Amino acid sequence: MSCGLHDVVSFEGLGRPAVLVASSVFRDVAAAEAQNLGQPAIRRVFVPHPVQDRTDDEMRAMAVAVADEVLAALRA
Amino acid sequence: MARELVAIIKHDCPVCVELLPALDAAAQDGAPLRIVSQSGGGDTAALWERLRLVSPVEIDEELALSALYDPDAVPALLLLDGGEERGRVEGLARDRIADLAAEAGFALHLDGLPAHRPGCASRTRDPLVAATLAARAARADGRLRSRTLRLGAHEDPFEALHERGLTDGLPVVPPTPERVVALLEGTRRHPQDVVGIVPPYGGTATVEKVAVNAVMAGCLPEHLPFVLAAVEAACEERFTMHGLLATTHPAGPLIVASGPLTERAGLNARGNCLGQGNRANLAIGRSLQLVVRNIGGGRPQIEDRSAHGNPGKLGACFAELQEGSPWEPLSVDRGFGAGETTVTLWAAEAPRLIVDQIARDPEGLCASLALALQSVAHPKQLFIWDALVVGPEHGRILREAGWDRARTRAELMRLTTSRIGDMLRGAGGSPEGLDPAVFGGNPDGMIPKFAGPDRIGLVHAGGSAGLFSMVYGMWASGEIGSTPVTRSVEPWM
Amino acid sequence: MDVAANGLELLDPTAERESGDRPLAAPIDGAAGLRIALLDIRKPRGDVFLDELERLLNARGYVVERTAKPTFTRPAPADLRREIAERCDALVEALAD
Repeated sequence: MSCGLHDVVSFEGLGRPAVLVASSVFRDVAAAEAQNLGQPAIRRVFVPHPVQDRTDDEMRAMAVAVADEVLAALRA
Repeated sequence: MARELVAIIKHDCPVCVELLPALDAAAQDGAPLRIVSQSGGGDTAALWERLRLVSPVEIDEELALSALYDPDAVPALLLLDGGEERGRVEGLARDRIADLAAEAGFALHLDGLPAHRPGCASRTRDPLVAATLAARAARADGRLRSRTLRLGAHEDPFEALHERGLTDGLPVVPPTPERVVALLEGTRRHPQDVVGIVPPYGGTATVEKVAVNAVMAGCLPEHLPFVLAAVEAACEERFTMHGLLATTHPAGPLIVASGPLTERAGLNARGNCLGQGNRANLAIGRSLQLVVRNIGGGRPQIEDRSAHGNPGKLGACFAELQEGSPWEPLSVDRGFGAGETTVTLWAAEAPRLIVDQIARDPEGLCASLALALQSVAHPKQLFIWDALVVGPEHGRILREAGWDRARTRAELMRLTTSRIGDMLRGAGGSPEGLDPAVFGGNPDGMIPKFAGPDRIGLVHAGGSAGLFSMVYGMWASGEIGSTPVTRSVEPWM
Repeated sequence: MDVAANGLELLDPTAERESGDRPLAAPIDGAAGLRIALLDIRKPRGDVFLDELERLLNARGYVVERTAKPTFTRPAPADLRREIAERCDALVEALAD
């Protein structure tokens, strides 16, 4: 997750809005690391934990559930 | 009377290990005894198991208690009365320890132990640990007040500092609290003393903030007083740092150090003194530029509008060479005492070479120097301030003729005084020059390039071989231009 | 006494006039023709999620470019980041778990 945050910070630095999609278990640690990276407002969207043992249908449902939020993050 | 004995130990100290069974036994009997371990929980537990100890032990998390009582060695036995220290023994001095325990009101059975054994170094004496504790103490007592910049767990600190816009384009030394505290050893001044208000945005340069930037620049503690004096000088109203930063002109602050302390601090006044290789020159010069950038907020192409800049804007600092100089120290020329060490700041361009390999008398040499001075900025423009760095081989000619600064300046003034008609716009085919509307009425009159002889700075420095001197053109724009400023280094030591 | 867990702590060399935080890039607006990169970090199940997200974004008029990091254990290589930034207007990186 931390590497993903670094990537997002890098893309923002290159002038492109970027959003990380991560499991909700990372909510707090992502906030702390975003603070450390000097960009507390890093765009991030969370999906319910766990992710690993979901069926394909459940994964697709997750995407449906967060698509609006992902676009909203890139538009904010 | 709440008396207790506190025993500070380390798991890997053999003397502590010898002493522990006796301490354990006393603790089990209910003695007013606290055993405190400087080692981590795991190592301490392993030791307790190995020695089959049963008494409770406190883990000195973050070495807070150890830092408070600050022993050199462990085992350290401290007699405390209501938290106040009444006595201590460091290392194993059997009889004295037994006495201390008695004062705390219990018996410690140390038979069989050697009478004397020196202990091991307290963990607080480990250099890295000591540095961190010193930094923590400095934060706690208000010596350090800067906001903490915390980097990402996987961030490369060098890249992070570049990305946050805090460098001059080259990597900087990451300014950890430990490094800043170590650098502050270079001054007796309080870190919160104000050095100056830095343009363009008026940031306050405290000793601490200057030290943070000086760490980044690569300074050693002995360089810090020079940096502080230079920042003080640069922030003086009449140096006009704001204008110097904002101008399209390429100039930047040039620091010339003069006096007995320069050599001790490692500054270079000799070969290649304007070039690379000398840490003091480069780090001191760079520190001032980082202060302007980071505390003042002045950045190239934004607040700094210089069309080309010059390499000296990375940092420009060198020392005057008093040995063999034709003149008294620059400090004295600038109104300070002969034994004082000072820094003089000029608003200077990059230096240019003056060759003269033929002249053998001072008049001849000055003729060449004057030609270079005349052509500063433009030969037909009048000028306010300038400085010459006269190399030792040239300096010898002046010294052997006994020409002091006054005599040298008088000659240079005479030789840079020209016929007005030759200086007018259009004269010699160049549209630049003096405005005929102002000066045209008196074409045969004479006009000096410099407003007065004191406007020609003279410094002796350089390598002993080479018939060369250097000329520094300066930024000047009349009333709102920059005036050179000299400050003493000693008050910052 | 260790620092590593949270990242190095440094002292701020500035006058601290600003928050010190880095600003975000300008957001995207509109949809038609905007290119969004979907960067797969290559953890299991992420591809299924991203396939669906691609379908949803296409349906809303965005052009989607699919790409992947060599490994989720390191930040994306600089070349890859630069290429994506040159070709695309925004990025979604998924799915970190």
